Amino acid sequence: MHELSIACEIFEQVMATAKEHGATEVKHVTLQMGRLSHTNPEQLSFCFNVLANESIAKDADLIVEMIPPSLECECGYTGAVDEKKIRENCKFESELLAYAAVMECPVCGKPAQLTGGRELIIKSIEIETENQD
Amino acid sequence: MHVIDMGHDVYKANDKVAEKNKKKLDKYQVFSVNVMGAIGSGKTTLIEEAIRQLKDKYNIAVIAGDVVAEMDSSRFKKLDVPTIPVNTGKECHLDAKLVEKALDEIDLSNTDLLFIENVGNLICPVDFKLGEHLRVVIVSVTEGDDIILKHPMIFKTSDLAVINKVDIAHAVDVDAEKMRDDILSLKPNVPVILTSKHDWESLETWISFIELGVKEAQNR
Ligand SMILES: [Zn+2]
Repeated sequence: MHELSIACEIFEQVMATAKEHGATEVKHVTLQMGRLSHTNPEQLSFCFNVLANESIAKDADLIVEMIPPSLECECGYTGAVDEKKIRENCKFESELLAYAAVMECPVCGKPAQLTGGRELIIKSIEIETENQD
Repeated sequence: MHVIDMGHDVYKANDKVAEKNKKKLDKYQVFSVNVMGAIGSGKTTLIEEAIRQLKDKYNIAVIAGDVVAEMDSSRFKKLDVPTIPVNTGKECHLDAKLVEKALDEIDLSNTDLLFIENVGNLICPVDFKLGEHLRVVIVSVTEGDDIILKHPMIFKTSDLAVINKVDIAHAVDVDAEKMRDDILSLKPNVPVILTSKHDWESLETWISFIELGVKEAQNR
């Protein structure tokens, strides 16, 4: 469980940006989360709300958009993993393992480099300010 | 209502600090090893053995991550090497910022080898680079032979895998070779070492792997 430290980092960054823009309230925080990052969206929301309890972000909604893994291969392929193959791989108990097992190039079949899918990005925040324009 | 674009990547922020740590370690030609593994896998014991064998040849320091107590760091201090305990409180992993702080307390110009013992956990340390040169994952046969496929990412991101306590594999009904095969199925060509603290030869393999890294760092 490392959601608390991540929630701290998110909270600090969100508050700094909100302050910079003269926010009176933070309404939404949109995150982008890689499917292979070891972060649980519900736990993250819970931790964030605890931290934000006495701040202008106390009612903020955490919106999480999931990012699928992407690959880069020496044959020149860059792009997504083979999602269909992942769904067929039902012998795997976890989605994480299914992804880890098929990190091979969908074109040439060689093991490819993972280039995306482990990120955790604070994409944007929606705020209210005193002076509505 | 205003939408403000941020694009702040939490892990990249950590990776940046990790890069800084690595540069600092490179400057002093220190070889750093991030040792990850579950509680009871034998991280401390394997590090201790390496220290015992290498401390006459090299200057060694340890950053010992513990959730609360200072159990592990006191074991290293007994070996007479500089040891920085890092208590993570509630957290389950070390991050680059914690290591950055710990590095300030180490005399890097008099250090050749730095062990960073991560907190006992096979999940959280995966997402956090520390600035290490070698990522090692240690599992013991007592964790059962399905432990590897349950935690694929730590094996995919490690540079060396150690299967420990192989001398009792039979007693716990585990096939260490199956564990090796599972690791290689996740990451072909990754070096896998089978160790037991009762088998000196296996420890020598582990220790010489570490020493090779130290020598490479000194020739950089
Ligand atoms: Zn390819």
